Amino acid sequence: MAKTKKYREPVNWKRELRLAPGYFILLVWISFTFVLLGWVLLASFSTTKEIFSNKLLASGLHFENYVKAWMNSDVAGIFRNSLIYSIISCILLILICAPAAYVLARFVFPGNKLIQTGFVSAMGVPVVMIVLPLFGIVANLGILNHVMSNAVLLIFLYIGINVPYTTIFLMTFFGNLSRAFEEAAAIDGCPPTKTFWLIMLPMAQPGIITVTIFNFINIWNEYFISLIFANSDKLRPIAVGLYSMINSMKYTGDWAGMFAAVVIVFLPTFILYIFLSEKIIAGVTGGGVKG
Amino acid sequence: MKRNKGMIILFLTPTVLMFSVIFLYPIIRTIIMSFFRIDGITDPVAKWQFTGLSNFIRLANTSLFRISMWNLFRIWLIGGIIVMSLALLFAVIITSGIRFKSFFRAVIYLPNIVSAVALATMWLQYVYSPKFGLLKTVFTNLGLTSLAKVQWLDNDHKFAALLLAYCFGMVGYHMLIFASGIERISSDYFEAATLDGANKFNQFRYITLPLLKGVFKTNITMWSVTSVGFFVWSQLFSTVTADTQTITPMVYMYMQIFGAGNSITERNSGLGAAIGVLLSVCVVAVFWLCNHLLRDDDLEF
Amino acid sequence: MRKKVMALVLTSAMAVSLAACGGGGQTTETAAAPAGDATTAAPAADGGQQEAAAPSGDGLVYWSMWEATEPQGQAIQAAVDQFTADTGISVDLQFKGRTGIREGLQPALDAGTNIDLFDEDIDRVNTTWGQYLMDLEELAKAADYEATANAGLMAACREVGGGTLKSIPYQPNVFAFFYNQTIFDEAGITAVPTTWAELDAACAKIKEKGYTPITCDDAYITCMFGYHMSRLVGEPKTEEIVKGGQWDDPSVIATAEAYADFASKGYFSETIASNVWPAGQNQELAMGTAAMYLNGSWLPNEVKDMAGDDFVWGCFSYPALEGGTDGVDAANYGAQVLAINKDSQKAEDAFKLICYITQGEFDKMLSELSIGIPADSNNTEWPALISCVKPVMDSMNTRYPWAAGAEANADMTPIIKENFLKLCGGSIDAQGFVDALKKAGN
Repeated sequence: MAKTKKYREPVNWKRELRLAPGYFILLVWISFTFVLLGWVLLASFSTTKEIFSNKLLASGLHFENYVKAWMNSDVAGIFRNSLIYSIISCILLILICAPAAYVLARFVFPGNKLIQTGFVSAMGVPVVMIVLPLFGIVANLGILNHVMSNAVLLIFLYIGINVPYTTIFLMTFFGNLSRAFEEAAAIDGCPPTKTFWLIMLPMAQPGIITVTIFNFINIWNEYFISLIFANSDKLRPIAVGLYSMINSMKYTGDWAGMFAAVVIVFLPTFILYIFLSEKIIAGVTGGGVKG
Repeated sequence: MKRNKGMIILFLTPTVLMFSVIFLYPIIRTIIMSFFRIDGITDPVAKWQFTGLSNFIRLANTSLFRISMWNLFRIWLIGGIIVMSLALLFAVIITSGIRFKSFFRAVIYLPNIVSAVALATMWLQYVYSPKFGLLKTVFTNLGLTSLAKVQWLDNDHKFAALLLAYCFGMVGYHMLIFASGIERISSDYFEAATLDGANKFNQFRYITLPLLKGVFKTNITMWSVTSVGFFVWSQLFSTVTADTQTITPMVYMYMQIFGAGNSITERNSGLGAAIGVLLSVCVVAVFWLCNHLLRDDDLEF
Repeated sequence: MRKKVMALVLTSAMAVSLAACGGGGQTTETAAAPAGDATTAAPAADGGQQEAAAPSGDGLVYWSMWEATEPQGQAIQAAVDQFTADTGISVDLQFKGRTGIREGLQPALDAGTNIDLFDEDIDRVNTTWGQYLMDLEELAKAADYEATANAGLMAACREVGGGTLKSIPYQPNVFAFFYNQTIFDEAGITAVPTTWAELDAACAKIKEKGYTPITCDDAYITCMFGYHMSRLVGEPKTEEIVKGGQWDDPSVIATAEAYADFASKGYFSETIASNVWPAGQNQELAMGTAAMYLNGSWLPNEVKDMAGDDFVWGCFSYPALEGGTDGVDAANYGAQVLAINKDSQKAEDAFKLICYITQGEFDKMLSELSIGIPADSNNTEWPALISCVKPVMDSMNTRYPWAAGAEANADMTPIIKENFLKLCGGSIDAQGFVDALKKAGN
């Protein structure tokens, strides 16, 4: 963590020079990324004809693509839905999975390997095989007939489907922590449960941040569960909304509009990503936890 | 050990409960389904016909399924090597104390959050275009006329084209995992090593790599899980009907469950379930191998 | 190997043990499910039907394959609104989209979800979901529906419905050659080709003028193979060959030779082997560098933004072959269809809604907004972009399924596609094509 503190130091040219190959590699990759993503951005301001004849922006900026994509659907509504789903699910996922990952990584007990194998094999089972049979049960329970219960069910599913992933992911980060911390805490008379929440959990923070970012993006982009289980348009999250926008543009041959729709959805996602990762990382480094 | 028993149960119960509610019934059902001939995935049990192992035998005898498994293996191995090396390289650079770290990290991760539909369209209609593609332009400017003439999306090159496009998006994801692993390594180690006169490469070789074993394990497991689920990119690179160079078992499974393309073909969800079982076994096997080859129980810090 | 087996056994063993010790409220859900599944479909569906119907009131529930923002979706929404205004019957209209319907409809019906009517492609509705459909003969007769319906399409619906009417067509389409009239005029082609020799001659003239005669995309390339085969030996035989792997049949090598011949004459786009949809239709046909493209009547709508207003469309049916079984009156034509759930309690209302959507004002609106073919025979005015399709559509007698049977065997489709693309691109010859198919087996 100490490394980030060097951020605001004055430029040390000798050091920078040693890092030059690193800068070079990153810059090459990043320029490549910018060319590719830049093309998408420019395409969203062009006409469809220009996109397919390699004359991007030949007739100036076409903001009407964005107007059309925006008017096309309730963008604000689907954003709100996705935000609610993702935030609630991410928090609950850490609360549920971090303790389990700690226990699985730390202690030897009968059934440990069994649970791990179960989780890993669950990740390998295609989502359709999970979702469609579940739908059969849930539809019979009548949960889908009310918007509120349907929303709760969606969040429940988002959490459940990511439980194996999150648990397996976090195991590594607990597995490598030194046992000295727990021993010291035990000598001080701290009960193991408390030791976990106060000492071990904060130490796994890089892993928790990373997995939360992935969970967030996963749930934010989740398509199939929402498609099958969101029985009302009011519950549609971003991925389903985007897909429907993309489809309606594609099937009417409005490729420029399609790119505009993608950018409209992408921008807030990206801002959110930057904001979240910076916020969480700032929280960690500010907390003075030394890894 | 005894006094931890309560905690183990307490900490595990929510996860295991969640897992049982969501996964248990579908997984058991999938395993059972793989031994039956079933049309629709939600057909009532009364309509299932027991066929023993014939679903698995049929898969083994279908050349298209074998092709799809071969493609999956190629994606996993070749793509895995490319993605892991680039991701590790970037992670090391990013954590080496460079400026604008968050900026670099964000941009490298960027492609991962752009809709795959837009990215695939960009690759197909722009980068690989035989008329005005980026590759063609670059190679023409470099004077490499034979490379400039290559049709990147014909049958001979389509797999490479797909793999490149896919890997480009995945590097950022695995870089984040590596970077978080490296960040967790105490800087004391590096400081001590620098005092001892170890150069950057040796620090990487003798400190970073061994301490990253667990992270490697996570990365390989996650890479295997996403490879096995390889679907969207395959579909985007071959709309409507599947393609021999891009088909993966997941695409094949969709064909069996929902019918292929626009035509009405025979459906067999039992066969689909058998593929699900096979894929799941593959993931478990990789996980098991990683656990044994990359033991990290003795490493603590 | 034994370890792998162990892992599998462990997984299932764990599954069982967890189920045993899970306890609590959650397990009741999972435990109840297999019991529900074990009972036969009909009573389960009925039970669910009534329960689910109660909270949603008296309205109809309609699951549609379109997106709300698509022209088709907008027209259907307008028809539904008018229906509700006129009759006071509320409609819960859910735009599920193509994936939503294709993947979600059957699970929903199996779970007894309250859905009165739904729509999708004619073949999928009647074949894949045939068991969920209500017989509509009586309702159609009572409404005198066929007075203004397209006879050919109604016949097609009966044909795929097993002799009885189980679905009502709308948004008809036909799959044929679409061409750029301007290029045809410039090349001096006065009549559309009706035989392979005429197509050959037309291609030669077009090539002479410096245009690409024929282009295609990977998504539709198998249709060329299927059409040619079906022209030679008829669609049922084509399907038999494809499903049974009878690649030694003389028609296969004949088809391959015809295309190898065209390829050697340079009639296909130079990039045909690497055209990934929509490269061919967007970058070549619409941009005016290629003359012909075998596709559905939705094509002019899909490329209208690129082709521009001055693009003049022409259309002709796949040419007949010397000594072949089928003539130009056979093609893959069809429609989207609306169907009523056999468990629906409100079939009459649902049928009334179908009439709103597929007849008169709203059929016209649908056709205009989506640049599609109207279903109501009284709507004689077709959108200008596709008016060229009318003579072709009117001349149809024999109906092919999608790709004229070429995609009937899902295990072979990608292999046919790969090798036919190579054949058209000139990297393999006719014999190589046949050998490749034989090698792939099945």
